[in-house]
Parts: sequence; C-alpha cells; structure tokens
Amino acid sequence: MTTMTRAQAREAQDADHGSGLGWAVRDTLAMAGRNLRRLLRRPEQVMFNLVSPIMFVLLFRYVFGGAIGGLQGLNYVNYLIPGIAVQTVLFSAGVTGFALADDLQKGFIYRLRSLPMARSAVFGGRVASDTVNNALGLLVLLATGFVVGFRPSDLPGLVLAGLLLLLFALAVSLGYALIGMTVSSAEAVNAATFPIIFPLTFASSAFVPVETMPDWLQGFATHQPVSVVINAARSLILGDTATDAQRTLLLGGADTASLVWQSLAWTVGIGVLFGVLCTRKYRNLT
Amino acid sequence: MGDTAILAEDLVKTFGGKVRALEGVSLRVEQGTVLGLLGPNGAGKTTVVNILTTLLRPDSGRAEVAGIDVLSHPSAVRRSIGLAGQFAAVDDVLTGAENLTLVGRLNHLSKAQARTRATELLGRFGLAEAGDRAAKTYSGGMRRRLDLAAALVARPLVLFLDEPTTGLDPRSRIELWEVIEDLVREGTTLLLTTQYLEEADRLADRITVVDHGRVIAEGTSSELKARMGGAVIEVRLADPNGARAAHRALGGVGDGEVSRQGEVVQVPATDGTAVLSEVVRRLDAAHLTARGLQLREPSLDDVFLALTGHDATSGAEPDAADPVRAAGDAPSSSGQSDTLVNDSSGGRA
Repeated sequence: MTTMTRAQAREAQDADHGSGLGWAVRDTLAMAGRNLRRLLRRPEQVMFNLVSPIMFVLLFRYVFGGAIGGLQGLNYVNYLIPGIAVQTVLFSAGVTGFALADDLQKGFIYRLRSLPMARSAVFGGRVASDTVNNALGLLVLLATGFVVGFRPSDLPGLVLAGLLLLLFALAVSLGYALIGMTVSSAEAVNAATFPIIFPLTFASSAFVPVETMPDWLQGFATHQPVSVVINAARSLILGDTATDAQRTLLLGGADTASLVWQSLAWTVGIGVLFGVLCTRKYRNLT
Repeated sequence: MGDTAILAEDLVKTFGGKVRALEGVSLRVEQGTVLGLLGPNGAGKTTVVNILTTLLRPDSGRAEVAGIDVLSHPSAVRRSIGLAGQFAAVDDVLTGAENLTLVGRLNHLSKAQARTRATELLGRFGLAEAGDRAAKTYSGGMRRRLDLAAALVARPLVLFLDEPTTGLDPRSRIELWEVIEDLVREGTTLLLTTQYLEEADRLADRITVVDHGRVIAEGTSSELKARMGGAVIEVRLADPNGARAAHRALGGVGDGEVSRQGEVVQVPATDGTAVLSEVVRRLDAAHLTARGLQLREPSLDDVFLALTGHDATSGAEPDAADPVRAAGDAPSSSGQSDTLVNDSSGGRA
C-alpha cells in the first residue's frame, strides 16, 4: 500500500544516527550550553553557589577554628579547606536534581524526549554545566582560603585534588538527578538535600578529626565515601609534608595512592549505579 | 485512498498494574489529513499520543508512524514527528529564538541551519519581534505558538498536538486555530487531541471519540451528528429548578426522552416545527418562562453526551475554560444521559 511511506521509513532509518557517539557529544554540548545560558540569566543562583563557600570558610576558620585542636601540628585552615571543598561540591550536586525536576515540572523534558537527540545528553549536559559551576565554586573557595592563610604544600596535588572532587560531585549529582526525576518537584529536591548532605559532611573528617567523635560514630565517619574523598584530597594537598602522625591520625593511616584509588572506586561505583538508574527512569517517565 | 501516516492497533496500557488507561485503541490516519482524538480528561488521549510519539511503550498492540514501527524503531520515528504538548514545553528563561535554535540543534541541524529555521518560524508565527525576549515574558497564546513552532523545526511528516488550546482565552484559541488550519492546508498530517467539540469540528477531517480507554465512535463530524437523528429543541430556563419543572412539563413531547443539563432542557425532535409549538404550549400551561428557545441541528456535544453518558467537559480541570458552553452540573448530566442513549438509538434513521 505504501511505497512512499516505506521509502521514507527506510530513509529515516538510514539517517538514524541519533545514537552515535559523535551525536551524543554534540547533543550534550548543546544541552550544557543551554544550561549555562540559563545560569547566566539568573545570577542570583550563581551568587548563592559562590557566597556559601566564602561564608563557610570564614565561619569555621574564625568561629570554630580556635577551639579545634588535635591536628598533630597541622594548621586548621590547611585541614579545613578540603572539607569545605567537598561540602561545596556536594551542595551544588543538589542543583542537578533541582534543575532536572524543574525541567520535568515545566514540561521541557517532555519536549526533549520527543526529539531524535541522544538520551544521555539530558544528563550529560546537566552534569557538564554543573561541573563548570562547581569548578567556579572551588576557585572562589581557594581564593578565599588563600586570603585567610591556606597554603597547599603540593601544587600538582592541589590540582589533582580539585579534579577528584569534581568527579566525585559529578557522580553524586547523578544521584540527585534520580531524586529530581522521581519526586519531580524542585521544592522536594531542595528538601531532600539537607537531610542527605548534612549528615554526610558533618559526620565525616571534613571539619574535625574523626577521632574526637564517639566510638559508634567513628567507624561510619572514617569509612563513608565523603571522608574517603576528603582524606584523599587532603593527602594530595599535603603531599610529602604529611608527617607519620598526621597520616595515622588524620588520614586513616592510608597513603595517598590508596586513598585516591578508594575515592575513584566510590566515585565510579556511585556514578555507574545512578547513571544506569537515571537512564532507566528517564526511559520510563510518563 | 492515500498512504497511512498513523496506524495504531489494539493499544493497551495499564499504569501501576491497576489503572487501565487504554483498553485496546485502534486508529488510522491517512497522509495529509487531520484526525481529532476527542474525549474528556482521563479518556486516554494523551496516553495514545505518548505511545505514538515513543514517549511510552504500550503493554500490547502495535503502532506505525510514517510507515515506521514505533516499538522497534523509536528514534527513526522521533526524526519524523513533531509534538506540541498540553503543557507548553518551552524553556522560559531562554528567548524564543534560543528555544527554537536549541530544538534545531537537537534535531541535528547545523548551527546556521538552526538559526535560519528559527528566524523563519518566529516570523511565520508572529513572534519575530518577541524573538529576542525571554519566553517567560510571553502571553499564553504566544507560548503555545512558540511550542508549536518548536514542534515544526525539523519539518515533521506527522504532527501531534496534545490539547493545543487547553487553558487559552477564546481570542488566542482562535488565533491558534488559524495557524493550525494553515499547516493543514499545506498538507501536514495531524493528530490532534482535544476535549473541545468545537475544536474537533473545526479542524479535523475525521473524529475518533475515546472514553475510558476505548474508541466509542469514529467518523466525520457530520457522520457523528447524523447518528443523533434529527434536530434538537433546546429550552433554557432561568435556573436548574425551573429546568426541573420544565423537564416534568415536557415529558412525552417529541419522539424521544427529554433530558436536562443544568438549566437547559433538550427535546429530540425529528419533526422540528410541530414539536416546537407543542413545547411552547406546555411551557405556557405550566407557567414557565423560557430564557431562550431554539431549534438546532444536533451538535457534537449532543453526540458526545449520547455516546459517553456524560458531557464532553465534565471532569475537566476547573480552570480550563470551555468555549462550547458552561458545563452542566456533572451528576445530573450523567443521570440524564441514559435516557439520551436509548433515545438516540430510537431516533436513528
């Protein structure tokens, strides 16, 4: 019956290259461009991301800093900065879920799903733009840190630590993407950010040494992924200057390589798990 | 006979293992024609569109769009279709031009092509001047036009419009109808869902009526109206109480059972004028004053009431303006409808 539609069908199928890697990258860039444009149009969001690390650094450095000891001779600012850095990127990870829920709520995702674009680009573009935002937050944090006395001992280590944190944030943001698509309300994602991020950052080695915590908390606080990543970043930044005492008491007794590998394992594990769940959730959205 | 642009066979979809959204919907749309998928909220219209546009997989059944199997080649289907949804899916932080360019890029046009196409479409839909403004500054009608433009960026073979005018004011609705009529004149195949009978009547070549996940009628607008038999006399009273009294007074008049919806009483009348004078006499005898009295051809509204047992817009969101008429109170309309169903079968020639 339908010579013409069959021909069209064949043509459309031949042209069916929406799944190729090249297109996926291009679609991801297009989506990331869109997200960054949105960010620039709403500077109040950027401001929040940039102001909160400054506030936390000043707060901890000058309010709590004086009371925190037991750092085996390590200057508290030098101890603190990797902790605030992780906290900063974790809070930004919430933005990923927030933004996706917003797109879903407003029907924008509905349009995207009807387009011949790569599905992964919806998340790829999101985490790409959020990573840019995160990198900006880390730079502001570093600058603030320098002003109040932060001095990294190992500069290449500092760069590696930054990359490690950005990767970890990317993996966690996929978890938030899943929450965002599940609750599909930006407010609900916001509400879900604090009960997850606060325990994970405060019951960790971010602000105080784990050994000052009660025994029942120490096990969790030492081995949970946020602490592992913070310790890895700290170890990279201290480089060779870390004393044995510092390594034993502040870094869980592990060397840099082992901490970095553990961090990468957590990052890949979290990223793959939530990446798969996100893609599945996206496919089954109604 | 033209080529088949959209084909659906026995689509079944259940949500959450319980809610049966579709219970075997089949439909066929010839190339270059417009099918109106008409039904109340929750009838399954959007589910049909979501399946045909690859957003949703059916539990069973098959579908083809532009000759391509929806289940086995979803991304090929996505290259052939345009979808404008119920919830104007534009990015309101981006400008109109940026929205269309983005959709062009995601349809894999080059940057230059995407820009050219965006300018072209903005001009065509009267958005040229607003093109550089953020979409959040647009009126409801402008947003819908932008959404429609986005659906057309890739020059789709088949266009799906899911309740394109729901929630629009009457003026914007008519503007959008004109835009859609232009597209149809150019030969776009269109599947349009609507809960507005007037909209289906005006835009669609053929109408498929769905209710509770089933197709309950199919045909052209005049075929569906013909199923109602002859004319209808409509008596409008001042209030529902007056209408109840009139309903009693007019019992047995005409050639079928009299029905009431809100303050309106309807009398089926194959032999229109004779029944009309009887209606006037009876109202007079009962000392009832009619606000309005008219003899008219059956509307799609009557067809819908006869077919589904409730009027077309009952169950609609309260904020959805109804251009056809104010919806009657739902309980009484569904109560009355059984009589109309019996009546319409008796009234068929």
